[in-house]
Amino acid sequence: MAMLDDSRLRTLMRSAQAGDTRAYAELLTTITPRLRRMISNQRRFLQHADIEDLVQEVLLSLHAVRNTYDPERPFIPWLLVITRNRLADAARRYGRRTATDEEMRQMAVTFSAETANIRAEELGDPDALRQAIEQLPPAQREAIEMLKLRELSLREASGASGTSIGALKVSVHRAMATLRRTLRK
Amino acid sequence: METETLIRRLADTAEPVTRLSPPLVRLAHWLALGVPYVALVVLVMSPRPDLAAKFADPSYIVEQLAALATGIAAGFAAFASVVPGFDRRMLLLPLPPFFVWLGSLALGCVQSWVQVGPAGLSIRPDWFCFPAIVLVGMIPAISMAFMLRRGAPLTPHLTTALGGLAAAGIGNFGLRFFHPQDASIMVLVWQVGSVMLVAALAACAGRYILNWESIIGIARHRAASVK
Repeated sequence: MAMLDDSRLRTLMRSAQAGDTRAYAELLTTITPRLRRMISNQRRFLQHADIEDLVQEVLLSLHAVRNTYDPERPFIPWLLVITRNRLADAARRYGRRTATDEEMRQMAVTFSAETANIRAEELGDPDALRQAIEQLPPAQREAIEMLKLRELSLREASGASGTSIGALKVSVHRAMATLRRTLRK
Repeated sequence: METETLIRRLADTAEPVTRLSPPLVRLAHWLALGVPYVALVVLVMSPRPDLAAKFADPSYIVEQLAALATGIAAGFAAFASVVPGFDRRMLLLPLPPFFVWLGSLALGCVQSWVQVGPAGLSIRPDWFCFPAIVLVGMIPAISMAFMLRRGAPLTPHLTTALGGLAAAGIGNFGLRFFHPQDASIMVLVWQVGSVMLVAALAACAGRYILNWESIIGIARHRAASVK
């Protein structure tokens, strides 16, 4: 960010706040490569698509709160605060998603292995498992099928079904509890 | 959507914006709306009959000024907290007047103990305080919420806690003009306690009042609908 000309960015942002769309486009185009580099340096484990998602999220955030920028003050610190804040939010979301996806992966191992799997032996054979899944209430069955069988992410499953991520988590949790009860009988 | 496409669409759909006023100016606007409302509530509830005498009571004056200063400082901190790049030390602004407020009440408790003994620290129910503080702080709280939503939701829970503290502090300031409850322990438990409860409830509501998703969603929707 130190390579960017702050005074030029201040001028562009001032014009953008006044409604100059060309200045705004130039501003966003100028800062995007720096944002991309900053995010990929801080989140080296992310795939290119995820980095680009974060870049776009920062741009949208800047766009949403561009009224908070005071042209009398430097532009780059203002941008950096927004960027760090959004990265922290994304890290929290990633942490929650990873914890739930890990639970999903453990479930896949538990239910898919036919032999030498302690959890599978506790819960019964695959045919009984398939029958038990079919007997689940519709919402729970749909959640298991999307997240375990089709291995969709929570966000993908939410988008496909129209069900919120929170509701999907509840359905999966209840489905697992139901399956354990059913298969231990 | 490709980032370059998003940039083009954001630029094409960007309208002129009204810059956020400095926190001090916004605070002045908030007080200009809130103080007349508090005065109106006090008039409707009828000022306490011993008000003139209370103005000669140093501890009453100190506690009232401290409550007011806590509310004002918290309001400024709340408005500053939604501006990216603000000095984070501003978040500590309400602490000094709040400690003065607590200190005065603590001193009053000690004095009551010395003069009257344990009976001076007896706590009786005073359920009137919480709803009264909510009533007196209602318009300041609502206007604060609307004003904060124009900023950046950098620290939603902390910002709304400060906003709640601001409204409740002003509310308590108004309350003591018509509610003749001055026993230090009672003020500490029921009034300061109510103020802290309001701030805590406001903190819990942080992500519902201030969140990036609600403000980004509008921009995302507009950018997506551009042909």
